Order: sequence, then structure tokens, then C-alpha cells
Amino acid sequence: MNALIKDDSRHVIGVKSRGNKFAFGTLESADELRLDYDVTLLPPKKYFFPQRETLFTYDLADGFSAKNPEDAKPMVIIGVHPYDIVALLHMDEIFRDTKSDPYYFKKRESSVIIGVNIQKMSKWNFSSFMGCSVIDYGYDLMLTDLGNRYGINVGSSKGEALMLRYAKNITPALARDIQIAGQKKQEVWNMVQQKLDFPAELIPELLGASYAKSGFWESHSEKCLACGSCVLVCPTCYCFDVKDNPDLTLEQGERIRTWDGCLLEDFAKIASGENFRATRPTRYRHRYFKKGKYLYDRFGFISCVGCGRCSSNCLPDIANPVNLFNDMYHESRNSGVQMPSSATQPDVNISTEGNIDYVPELGTIIKKVPLTAYETLFEIKLDDGSELGHEPGQFVEVSVFGIGEAPISISSSPTKKKTFELCVRKLGNVTRSLHNLDVGAKVGIRGPFGKGFDADSMKGKDLLFIAGGLGIAPLRSLFNYVLDNRKDFGRVTLLYGCKEPKELLFGDELALLASRDDVEFKSTVNWCPENEVWSGSIGVITTLIPQVQFSPEGTLAILCGPPVMYKFVIADLKTRNMPDENIIMSLERRMKCGVGKCGHCQINQIYVCKDGPVFNYSKIKGVPEAL
Amino acid sequence: MKPKVAFFDFAGCEGDQLQIANLEEDLLTLLGQIEVVSFREVMKEHADNYDIAFVEGSCTRLQDEDRLKQIRKNAKVVVAIGSCAAIGGINSLRNYKDLEGVKKTVYGENAKLFDSYAARPIDAIIPVDAYVYGCPIDREDFLHVVKSLLLGKKPETITYPVCVECKKNENICAFERGQFCVGPVTRAGCDSCCVNEGTICWGCRGFVDNPNENSHKEVLIKYGLTVDDAIGKFKLYFGWQEAKR
Repeated sequence: MNALIKDDSRHVIGVKSRGNKFAFGTLESADELRLDYDVTLLPPKKYFFPQRETLFTYDLADGFSAKNPEDAKPMVIIGVHPYDIVALLHMDEIFRDTKSDPYYFKKRESSVIIGVNIQKMSKWNFSSFMGCSVIDYGYDLMLTDLGNRYGINVGSSKGEALMLRYAKNITPALARDIQIAGQKKQEVWNMVQQKLDFPAELIPELLGASYAKSGFWESHSEKCLACGSCVLVCPTCYCFDVKDNPDLTLEQGERIRTWDGCLLEDFAKIASGENFRATRPTRYRHRYFKKGKYLYDRFGFISCVGCGRCSSNCLPDIANPVNLFNDMYHESRNSGVQMPSSATQPDVNISTEGNIDYVPELGTIIKKVPLTAYETLFEIKLDDGSELGHEPGQFVEVSVFGIGEAPISISSSPTKKKTFELCVRKLGNVTRSLHNLDVGAKVGIRGPFGKGFDADSMKGKDLLFIAGGLGIAPLRSLFNYVLDNRKDFGRVTLLYGCKEPKELLFGDELALLASRDDVEFKSTVNWCPENEVWSGSIGVITTLIPQVQFSPEGTLAILCGPPVMYKFVIADLKTRNMPDENIIMSLERRMKCGVGKCGHCQINQIYVCKDGPVFNYSKIKGVPEAL
Repeated sequence: MKPKVAFFDFAGCEGDQLQIANLEEDLLTLLGQIEVVSFREVMKEHADNYDIAFVEGSCTRLQDEDRLKQIRKNAKVVVAIGSCAAIGGINSLRNYKDLEGVKKTVYGENAKLFDSYAARPIDAIIPVDAYVYGCPIDREDFLHVVKSLLLGKKPETITYPVCVECKKNENICAFERGQFCVGPVTRAGCDSCCVNEGTICWGCRGFVDNPNENSHKEVLIKYGLTVDDAIGKFKLYFGWQEAKR
């Protein structure tokens, strides 16, 4: 062990005591290693997904240059309990989902994990019930205490090479060693003090049946401090925030990501102030659903390994999953609630398509057209001369260096090739800074991201566009595409509503529609001040729907607007017998990373940033938090 | 052009301005970005044409109000620095006591010569654009706010409690060490500096926006504090904020 520690090419980490607790830390000598620990304060994920991590450093002194952080030394982590190894396997799948996270995998793939079978168990642990207290895979080496020596299971060639190089006096295991090792593993089962009263595989269904259970979440979360301790210590939690951290010269700085948690108040809050999970019960419920249902629906595993860290860190003692799941189980049995069968699920595509690039490309603002007091249309060209190559309805992450990054939907049609347009409302720091930039200024662009409108599948159909307020911005990318390929589509109608005339966007372009006989256009405002001129209707957007004729079967309704608009518009479309599959909409959420990793835009098993933002209503109407 | 910056103090210990005067290696870089026109603690000169006013100390007298309003009028941006200015701070402890009694304790028989009222944060008098919390303020946190203002950015206010930082720092919870802490209801941003050193969070950065105070008082009592002591834990820094809730 000491020879391994002295080997300078590796960072050797192990479990050490910290006060009367334990923590993973750098080993200075073999004596520090404590394989008899019960649980560590934080799981070993902190070495692969650190609390704070530099994504890149930037320098604005000469245009813009970005540098990725240097690779750290390969690690050997000694003394990982089986449940924490399973948790790492969960993290692997999450960080591989669709696009791989290079920061995570660089560290993960170069490391060696040396596990140890549990010798002492935290009183909060229930890993046996989650199938994670004894494992046969996931490690490079696994140690079992046999009394005066350790048994070693070899899990990989990497582990074997390390063992052959550093382990002294190894001999092939004899029958009695294998027997003792087997007994030691059996003993783990008897250490568990927390008892789940039913098989864990029922958890997703139980949760599904309890989502809207009146008072259940409120009463269980009444004492929640929203302190986030439960999620911050969790070995399978992966949510993060992204921030710019300029230095005092303001010319150099770094973009960092830091751990975040869905229990924290602002987790699902967007720049407009809308908070999609503003109350403690909704955030409390989200945590359990994420662990027990959403990730299960996406990946097929229950994202809890039973380490018990959440329970032990919750001061009001309301975070123990065993208690909550048992309550849920017994209540559902007593009340005879019928377990629902799985509802229609949105398509979730899990495949790996290369790496995520967190470093933006450079773009230049080549035109800036103020539309209203708050919205400006920016025309942007990528500096390397390439085309953005987006489909209508997709978005980009726009960076103003030193300020941060924000998701902005693309407003121009893909038929406009050399440049693209973003209609930006002054709301948060990034969008306000963007407004202060002049033509010629540089911005960072990542993307295009997400699933946009499938224009090809709309060919030959009648299209009914319904936009509310800023919702016209993403719809314009499709609308202009349709106009540029007008003969491919049937009747085209645009209904557009905003609060008052001065908030109307793209007024000049819309005025031109009046002279076209191949497009029907109607607009409305909620109210019009006396001194302003307005020729459209007065009333909310839904007042326009009865004014247009459409065949419900042959028409696609394409919706974008504030969250409140959808409920009413969909209800009206349904009274006109429009089938669910014919309603297509774009959703807004806090899309921080844009690549389905940071967790902020998650609703149920869906990441709005990559499974959306465009959805077919038939696929999301059963998703409780979508609308 | 470098923005002109002025520092002001009201009822407080001036420890926050001391933190700024003690910025050490960052001080010269900072002075490359701003022009200080008034800073009583470190310089003689004073001017009233400033863009950013940093105000320390709480408002404890009627005549403080006029001075604050004048500062507000002169400055484009007003920043409250330190607990006293930002949340009322430790001065608000006296708000729980009889004011005449407090004056007598401090000034003896001259008490009637001194005008005073309940201690309050400066945003009880004037609109405040940004806050640097803490008792004293953290230098990095101060620089974060300054950098944000220089970049034309509204400084982000942390809305989560100190527990988040304790967990990230892998601290052993104060409650598990047999101590009592108000970190779960206190605004983070200090990197849990006190708990990192083995003590507790006293709450100097004030309540988070929506603290679950009742639940946390129950926790304090569950872990062994008397009801009075639990209430006392909240008085040290949260006085003004509790009275407002």
C-alpha cells in the first residue's frame, strides 16, 4: 500500500477518519486507511464530479480564447462500499445519456476502484433492500476482511495489474477462504436496521399512484427546511449549476459548474421569475420521484442505492426513503388505491452521440433590431463561417463572457443560411448584457440543441400557429420556413396575442401578411390604452380560435406561449375536436446546460432541453408537471 | 472611466470597511477598476459625486434617515455591506428590550440627550440595489459584488442556506457534535466558514428568503435546547427580519 501511495503517477485516495466520522481523502500513508468504516460523509462521486469544477478558463484580452483545465492524475480509490460502487454505475449512465460528459469520464476511465465489503453498517443503511449491499461487478478489485487477511476479488484487468504490482504475499484463495468470504457477505444482510416492508421493484408504481395523493406530500414535507442536505450528500444526485467567475481584471475568468439540488428554492426558477417548483412539497416530491420513478422510467433503475446518507443528514428526520416508501405502501394497501399501469410515455432516446462541448463557439452580432422596449432581434454569424444548421424550434445557449450563459430559441428559418436570428427579451443578467452589446461584439454560441419541429412530417397538412407574447419567437423559425416552402403545406393560419399593442413583436413582418392571400393572420391584445391605435381584436388569445375555420383532422396546431396559455388553448382546441396528436407545442424550462445533464429542466423522465423543447401533446399530456 | 465609489458608516463596528481596507493583494487591482472618493476609515478626502455607495451599519436614529436619503440621491447604486446594514444585524438585539432601559444602560443619566429608535437595516429607509451579507463581510463575496457591478450585472443573491456549503465542505454537522446551529435557515455565501472551523453558524447573513423557522426551532428543541434558548438563537441576528415576518 505504501509503495502505491509513493507512486507519484497516481493520486491515491482512501477512507480516513474525520472526527468521529469518515471521509474519502488523499492517503499519506497506509495507516490512515480505515476499511472498518460505516459510511463516509460524502460519496466518492466527488472525485469524478467535484463540488466545484472549472469547465474552461477564458481570456478576452485578444478576442476570446478558452482553455480546458488540465487533466488530473489517474486516481486509485480504496475502500468503496458496494452501494457506492453501484451509485457510480448510475452516474456513468446519466453522464453518458445521449452525449458523454468528458469531464466526468476522463477522470472515471483513468481511475481504479478498490471496493471493500461492508464490515460495519450505518444504522440508516438499507442497501440490502436496494440490491446494493453485496455486488459482483462494478469494481476493479474488491476486498473482503477474512480476519487476519483480506480476500481479493478481481473485477478487471486494470485491477489485476495493480494487484500484481503492489499486493505482497498474495496466494490463490483456498476453499476455507472462499467459505469465510461467503459468510462475511452473508453477515452484511444481518446488519441492516432499516426495513423496507415490500419489494423495492414496487417503488415506481407506488410513486406513480401517489403523485396527486391529497395531503400526502404536504404532510410529509411540512418540516422540510429546503436545506438541500439530502440531495447534496446523495451518491446518485448529479444536478449542477453553471456560472461565470471573472477575475478582478474582468478580462480573464472561468466558467464553473457547482453541485446544485432540486430541493433548493430557485432550482426550477427561470429568468422571468416563474418557478416551476416553487413550494417545498413539490420539490420534496420531485426528489422522491426523480429517484424512484423518473430515472426508472428513463433508464430502468431506481436511482437509490440505500446508503442512508440522506436520512442521517436530515435534521427534522423527514428524508428517510424507507419511512416514506413504507408509509406510501401501507396507505395504498389500506385505501385500496389501484396501481395505474404505465401511461403513454414520451419517446426517450438514449444513445451516445459523442461528447458534450461546454466551450462555446464564437459568434459576432452583425445586426441588432429593437422590436419593443424589452425585445431586440439579434442577427448572429458564427466566426468560423460555418452554418448553425438548426431545425425550426431548436435553441442555442448564448454566452456573454463574465456574465454567463442563457438558452435562447432560434427565431430565423433554417432557409436563412449564413446567419441566424435570436429574439431576446431583457430579463436576466445574460439577456440584459446582450442588449448592451453593439453590432460587432462577440458572443459565445453552443448548439443548436433540442428537438425542434419536424417540418417534413407537416408537409401537406394545414397549419394553425398559435403564439402568445414572446412565444412568437420560436414559432417564427417554423413559420418563415413554411412561407419559404409555401407550396409544400396546406392552409396556413397564424393567431398571435400579446398584452398590449406596444408589446407586439415583428409588427412590420406581420403587417406584410395582410397582403398575402395564402396566409390567414389574426392578432389580439388583452387591452389597448386609449391613446394607441390597434386594428386587431381585443381579448385573450383564445377569443381568436372561434374566428377561424379548420378541419380538426387535417390541421396541426402549433403552440408557443407562456405556460398559462396552453391550458386554455388546448381546452378550446379539444372542444373543436382536434385530436391530441395534432397539437404540437414548445415548452419553456430552466435549460442551464442544454444537454440533459444539469437536471434543471427535468419534468418527469423528460429533459426539456434535449427531449424537447418541442413536444407532441399526445406524448406529454400524461406527464403531470409538463403543462 | 472608472466608477467613483464612496463608503459610509452608520451604527456598526466598521469591521466590514476594515475587511475591504485589508484586501491585500487584490486591493491594487481593485483600485485599477474604481476610484474611491470617500472612505473615512482610510482617507481624509471626501467628495459627494459618486456612482456607487457602500453603506455599513444599521439605521438607529431619525437623523440617520436624512443622511441615507442624501446618499441614495447622490449614488446610482447603493450597496448594503455587512449584517447591520443588510439585515439590521446584531444591533437589532436591543429591539427586544425597552428602549429607555437600553439608553440608560449605555448612556447612564445622560440618556435623555440621545435620540434613538429600533435598529433597522438601511433598506427599511431607502431602496438598496445589492447586498454583501456577513458579520463581517467576506472579502471574496465583496469582490464578487464589485465585479458584478463593474460588468453591469445584478449580483446574484444566494437563496439557499448554509447547509449546502457545509455538505459540500464535508463538515460534520454541528448538531452531530452536540452543538446548536442556525445554518439551516441562514443565507449561504460564506462557504460555511464558521462551521469549517469547528464552531456553529450564528446566522450573520440573515434568513434565507423563505425560512422554515418553526421547523428549525423544533429541531433545536429536539436536539436539547430549551424553548427560550431556541428562540434566543434566532434573536442574535434575525431580530429585524423576524419582527417583519
